[in-house]
Amino acid sequence: MRWLILGIGLLTCSVNAAEYLAARAHSNYQIYCQGCHGPDGSGAGDVPRMLGHVGSFQLSAAGREYVVRVPGSATSALSNERLAEVLNWIVYEFSGDSFVAAFEPYTAEEVGRLRASPLNETVNTRAAILAELAAREELDQGDDQR
Amino acid sequence: MKFIDKLFEREARKLAQTSGRRSLLKGMGGLLVGGASIPLLPVARAAGPSQPVDEGDPSSCDYWRYCAIDGFLCSCCGGSANTCPPGTEMSPVTWIGTCKNPADGRAYVISYNDCCGKSSCGACLCQRDEGDRPAYRPDKTNDINWCLGTTSAAYHCSTAIVVGVAFEE
Repeated sequence: MRWLILGIGLLTCSVNAAEYLAARAHSNYQIYCQGCHGPDGSGAGDVPRMLGHVGSFQLSAAGREYVVRVPGSATSALSNERLAEVLNWIVYEFSGDSFVAAFEPYTAEEVGRLRASPLNETVNTRAAILAELAAREELDQGDDQR
Repeated sequence: MKFIDKLFEREARKLAQTSGRRSLLKGMGGLLVGGASIPLLPVARAAGPSQPVDEGDPSSCDYWRYCAIDGFLCSCCGGSANTCPPGTEMSPVTWIGTCKNPADGRAYVISYNDCCGKSSCGACLCQRDEGDRPAYRPDKTNDINWCLGTTSAAYHCSTAIVVGVAFEE
């Protein structure tokens, strides 16, 4: 009985810790990203749609790097740890069907390394990454090609 | 069926012989009082209420949600702090800040969506600019025209919509 209570207690703590981090990531998304990407990542105007698509970038190394090196991420006011948290939150929340089961969450160390070289040009880089995935037939027809 | 009848009859008789009405009341009472003393299970309260207690006049520049605004208040232009006046379109791309609500002392994330498609409203100019940053931080500057993603780039007025509670560490 004692072990059962202890087990439930530990489980509750870890669930609360995960909720705490998710709440922090969501709040940082709202403050630093939502203005352009929208509350649900659907984008607007020239802002690309992340909802249902953003997971695809994890299908290639270049795509995974792009998510961090894109200026909105790389030059944001967030620390490496907080940025990694927000990017992971975005991948989990917005990928939908594009979620890649093998997704490895970004670490602060990886984010720190990649953001040190922000992309100067994004539109063509993004198109090239998606074209390469499409050529490998990793992307479904109709996936966002902007 | 007979088996079930027998089973229930036997159990009911056993219960009647071994327990009185008083002990049933005692048990029920204990359960009620004891149950109330069990603390509530820990549930997520981190997010809290997303819609705050609201005090103040939304057509006054002092209103708490306008702490970072720079523009004409839609409340004075035929709209409200949350909605655009008729004939204008709300920009889906917006600048976002946080304001402290004096009613509960908590910081809320505020989205200053501009209303676009008509020339400047001209009423209730409000420039409080808290947290406004220079243009080299484009996501945190309110000096640019945020009528982006709308059919017309003509700026009319600004709203101040609560999108959530800011995370406090």
